[in-house]
Amino acid sequence: MSLITDLFANALDEGYAEAAARRRAAGGPASSGNRPRMSLALMAGLLGLGLLLVTAALQVRADASIVSAERESLVERIGLAASHTDGLERTLSDLEGDILQIESRQLDNVAVSSELRESMAAMQGSAGTGAVEGPGVVVEVDDAEDGATGGTSGAVPSVLDLDLQQVVNGLWAAGAEAVSINGQRVTAMTAIRSANDVILVNFRPLDPPYEVRAVGDSRTLGSRFLEGPGGEWLLDASTTAGIQFDIRNVDSLTLPAATAVLRLAQPEDAT
Amino acid sequence: MIPALGLLLGIVAGLVFDVSVPLALQPYLPIAVVAALDAVFGGLRAVMDGVFDDKVFVVSFVANVLIAAFIVFLGDQLGVGAQLSTAVIVVLGIRIFTNVATIRRHLFRA
Repeated sequence: MSLITDLFANALDEGYAEAAARRRAAGGPASSGNRPRMSLALMAGLLGLGLLLVTAALQVRADASIVSAERESLVERIGLAASHTDGLERTLSDLEGDILQIESRQLDNVAVSSELRESMAAMQGSAGTGAVEGPGVVVEVDDAEDGATGGTSGAVPSVLDLDLQQVVNGLWAAGAEAVSINGQRVTAMTAIRSANDVILVNFRPLDPPYEVRAVGDSRTLGSRFLEGPGGEWLLDASTTAGIQFDIRNVDSLTLPAATAVLRLAQPEDAT
Repeated sequence: MIPALGLLLGIVAGLVFDVSVPLALQPYLPIAVVAALDAVFGGLRAVMDGVFDDKVFVVSFVANVLIAAFIVFLGDQLGVGAQLSTAVIVVLGIRIFTNVATIRRHLFRA
């Protein structure tokens, strides 16, 4: 403690007191020069201080701009990689379209195969690897409005992966034949999960609002969904957390194809 | 008033010449600024106390800046640079506060 006490008591450099004592002993004034307020030394010192201050401040600014430039270049690289991924996916779907065409051309050549082709198209539709079209319902789910408070964290409640899972399950249970979320077809290999507050479907990040399209009997699908577990879940989420949702029947829906490639799993021989 | 002109001149000079500091010296710049602040407030207080001395001021200014930077440099070499920077800042900060309090008493009699 004595160190700090000393620091408070003798804040002024002791050199000043010593110099003043020397001058007094020599019979002069305590201060050097008649008008210490005009001192050249003080001016020089302040000049040095100003120079140091500005240099340090400019340095900090420059460092900050370097950091932000690095972040911008990272963001740019992310954007480039994302567009590259999109391009590759487009190529993939183009190639799959080519394969389908070639397959159907091959099948056309064989007389007996038109039946086979129809059954294959039906199988691709139900597996999710072929685009389908038909009547159905659209369930739109969105985060709660700003200012709504619910849950425990105090943040605005958002749609969870669990909510979408329940909606999709409810739609299957209500008799849906094909389901997609924001253009991502739900197949047997689709996972709906969240990573860092973002919901991934088919490993693609989606943004709210989530539009779940389901092809099925549009006269019964909507009402059966609402009465079933999926509708119950949505109603519960909407009353407790303020999650917004809307269900409407649509005469014609188009669901895109998904890519579900089996790399290791082989069809078992029917022996 | 004229010493304040010096401060202004220093700031303008720093802006105009855009001095670039070598990378190796950059960590010591903030410490040097605090040390210079301490010396300047010490000098101002000496002026008000009527014991100002040119030589003591200049020597204390230069020595303060160099020693503060050197202590932090030494700490960096020993792996305790951050802690020593804190120590220097605390000590110089206390001195600046005490000196400014005295200056304030001289100026406002309060």
